[in-house]
Amino acid sequence: MRAEEVLRALTASLGAQLRSYELRPREVGVRRKWTVEEVWAEVEREALPKAVAALKALGPLHISVISGHDAGETIELLYHLAVGFGTEGGEVVVTLRTFLPKSDPTAPSLCAVLPGAEITEREKIEFLGVDFLGIPRRDHVFLPDGFPVHPWRRDEPELARFLHRMVEWEKGHERKEPQG
Amino acid sequence: MSARNPKDNDPVLPAVEERVVERELVGAEAALGETFAVPIGPIHPALKEPIRLTFRVRGERIVGVDIRTGFAHRGIEFMGMRQGRNLIQILYLAERICGICSVSHPIAFTQAVERAAGIEVPPRAQYIRVIISELERIHSHLLWAGVAAHELGFDTLLHLTWRVREKVLDVLEELSGNRIDYAIPIFGGVRRDIAPEQYPKVWEAIRYYRGLLEQLLDAFLRDPTVEARTRGVGVLEPKEAEELCAVGPTARASGLRKDVRQDRPYLAYPDFQVRAITPEDYGLTPVGDVYDKIVVRLLEVEQSLNIIEQALENMPEGEITSFPKIPALLAYLKKAEGEGLGWHEAPRGEVIHYVRLAAGEESLLVWKVKAPTYSNLLSWYPMFEDQEIADIPIIAASIDPCICCMDRVYLVRGGKEEVWPKEKLLKLSWEKTRRMQR
Amino acid sequence: MSGWAILGQAVLALVGGGIVGLLYRGLDRKIAARMQARLGPPLRQPFLDLGKLLAKETVIPKTAVAWVFSAMPFVAAIASFTALLYLPWGPFGPILEGHGDALLVLYLLAVPALAMALGGFASGSPLGVVGAQRELVMLVSYEFPLAVVLVALAWRLSTLGIAPAFSLGQMARYPLWGVVGPLGLIGLVVLLVSLLVVTPAELAKIPFDIPEAETEIAGGLFVEYSGTYLALFYLADAVRTVVMAGLVVALFVPYGIAQPLGLAGAAAQAVDLLFWLAKVFGVMAAAVTTVRVGMARLKVDQIARGFWWRVTAVALSGLLLLALDKVVSG
Repeated sequence: MRAEEVLRALTASLGAQLRSYELRPREVGVRRKWTVEEVWAEVEREALPKAVAALKALGPLHISVISGHDAGETIELLYHLAVGFGTEGGEVVVTLRTFLPKSDPTAPSLCAVLPGAEITEREKIEFLGVDFLGIPRRDHVFLPDGFPVHPWRRDEPELARFLHRMVEWEKGHERKEPQG
Repeated sequence: MSARNPKDNDPVLPAVEERVVERELVGAEAALGETFAVPIGPIHPALKEPIRLTFRVRGERIVGVDIRTGFAHRGIEFMGMRQGRNLIQILYLAERICGICSVSHPIAFTQAVERAAGIEVPPRAQYIRVIISELERIHSHLLWAGVAAHELGFDTLLHLTWRVREKVLDVLEELSGNRIDYAIPIFGGVRRDIAPEQYPKVWEAIRYYRGLLEQLLDAFLRDPTVEARTRGVGVLEPKEAEELCAVGPTARASGLRKDVRQDRPYLAYPDFQVRAITPEDYGLTPVGDVYDKIVVRLLEVEQSLNIIEQALENMPEGEITSFPKIPALLAYLKKAEGEGLGWHEAPRGEVIHYVRLAAGEESLLVWKVKAPTYSNLLSWYPMFEDQEIADIPIIAASIDPCICCMDRVYLVRGGKEEVWPKEKLLKLSWEKTRRMQR
Repeated sequence: MSGWAILGQAVLALVGGGIVGLLYRGLDRKIAARMQARLGPPLRQPFLDLGKLLAKETVIPKTAVAWVFSAMPFVAAIASFTALLYLPWGPFGPILEGHGDALLVLYLLAVPALAMALGGFASGSPLGVVGAQRELVMLVSYEFPLAVVLVALAWRLSTLGIAPAFSLGQMARYPLWGVVGPLGLIGLVVLLVSLLVVTPAELAKIPFDIPEAETEIAGGLFVEYSGTYLALFYLADAVRTVVMAGLVVALFVPYGIAQPLGLAGAAAQAVDLLFWLAKVFGVMAAAVTTVRVGMARLKVDQIARGFWWRVTAVALSGLLLLALDKVVSG
């Protein structure tokens, strides 16, 4: 698998929805040099399933994780994928970047194309308050159900107060423990 | 439970607490129906870490499973991103994500930061990172093998493997000063060199394991009771493994040749031409059951021995870090801007870190950690399907779950009872290190 | 024998049986530890454990059926201790000889298992229920081969004109090894093997410890038991070990060494008693300790299948060989 093939597949299936892309090859190895190719592409959120389907058609596809960032007006999601495992140095790392407006923080779910994306999508629901349309399960993965804040949002008015309350609660709890 | 509710009418916390109580009741009432719920965890002898698996069973057969995680969520990413720590401090956090793969997270994290900031790693440092991480793989796989034996009720095998494992822990202590949390990688290199007089001890450990490997394979793979308990149990079909993006030995036992060291090599790994190991290498057709997972892990011990051997033989000379002075490093990192990915094949599978640095900030702007269990969690669903209650522990253990690794984050409590034992333990560890240096 | 003498002997047997049971538990743990290259606990650890449990609070869960839950530990302990009274103690015959035979011992061994199962069901915990179901499956599986062994020996004894043939005292007094022909010898060995396989199952030890299965169902039957009740189960288990091993000794190796050594009187009895204790220990070490060190835990269906087909078949073939031997050699 080469980065050019990945790019060709992405441009063919996305067209104008592929906003921009960049190649970032990295040199590795000490005595035996090797180049691992990385593709970083920015796509529109509607095009995500199409992009992933195109990648899947190229070879075995693996999703590592979705990174998220509260960028002020928008929420930035980065889908870290890798296509083509199974041969030595045959994998191309693909990162799809997309921006969701805060007013409508939804993205299409990848679970129909790539079931392995479920956990990481659910994590984004609880930590960033993003919603994924068509995800089979919405339960929280790490935080308790009904947890009132999305910790990775930078505009949570509740967060500071909540953290403060948690600390107080922990202290109070520890004092009580010997009797209970 | 109710005693845990703090002072009264806080609108936020009671809501969280009540949910937990409600969940308990559902389990107890359901026990009266035709199928009933068997809760495993969050505290259970088979689980070394907190996770809650609620099984719906009919007789001994499992008909459904509900997986709840998050009991050990420590908020590490949040602490890294939002609480004003500098990168060296965050490196310590990364090191403490997991106690077993305690060099895997730093290796992935330093790579991500080096990539973002454009720092080169000297060849010798790359080799040292490889050696430490392969030693860690040996210790982790042996640890797992012992735990698996214990889950099967075969405690003799547990004691045997854990005794064997001590040797690699001794070597790691010799090289780094610690049995776990080696604190070896730092941005731009490693913190400790491997001195010439330390080589023989590593060689001795390699010879020790080479001699024992056949015995271990024999004890695990040719024991009739182990075979009866693991063959055909917890099967993960190759198709499912691929769809659910399983990683590490879990995927390889299903026959997928998926190994980050092979697929997208990093550090000095291209030198060693690592090949992903599947049960085929042992002359078996991959089924994806627990037995195959044992095969893969034990064979990987041998693979790690080979890599360490090659690394020791071809060790390049030179610097071990491109930033000998920490303040210079911090100053450089403060100015740096960019984003990067770092990955590593931990003993349990792919670890990946994403970081983004902002110029003028000491802290990280974005940090995402992905531990191997995070990817393997979903494979539990097909593995548990239509199995027996008796198989739960070994299936749960078969992906080698590292719950705390995956959970990462929340509030860290002050260590109130830790004061004297910590000092004592520290002293003991110093004494042992001195003993070994003699 | 006067009533007082019987009472005195009974008290001795009960207390002695308890002490021997706990001591052997300690030995079992120590040997297992050495086999696993560990140091292991001190020999008196079971006594300490028992004392600690007795000192602890006994909790009855809200969801439990309280009276069944509290009654079952006593039933188990009483049944196990009663079995001691029907066991030949080396040179001494069973204390209550003539008031119950080997079949009663069989029942007395089954009662604690049933009591544990009922206690598990009554505990209101799903894990306890699973453990109880497993215990019952096990009971059904191993009782049949055990009964076959007893019936085979009693039948052969009755053909020799010895009555009552089902008395454990008589069985111990007239070992069959010298009586039967070559085919019968093979039959006896086969029966002995099947009895030794049944032993760890009867005592619920690895590989047959599925009702408790610490790593699977967190102690299963006993998951809700604590304090005194757990202590009673613990004691019952220790005593059952002695009874079961004593049963094997009585049926197959009832020989003493006092006679060959030319001893008589009290010395002979003392030596024989010690020798009997050694034999019981030997059976326990062979059938329980080494087995539990060398194996993984099996699953309930594997055990049920294994016992129903294999062990039962082995026991029946032993019976058949014994019968053939009778027909051939007359």
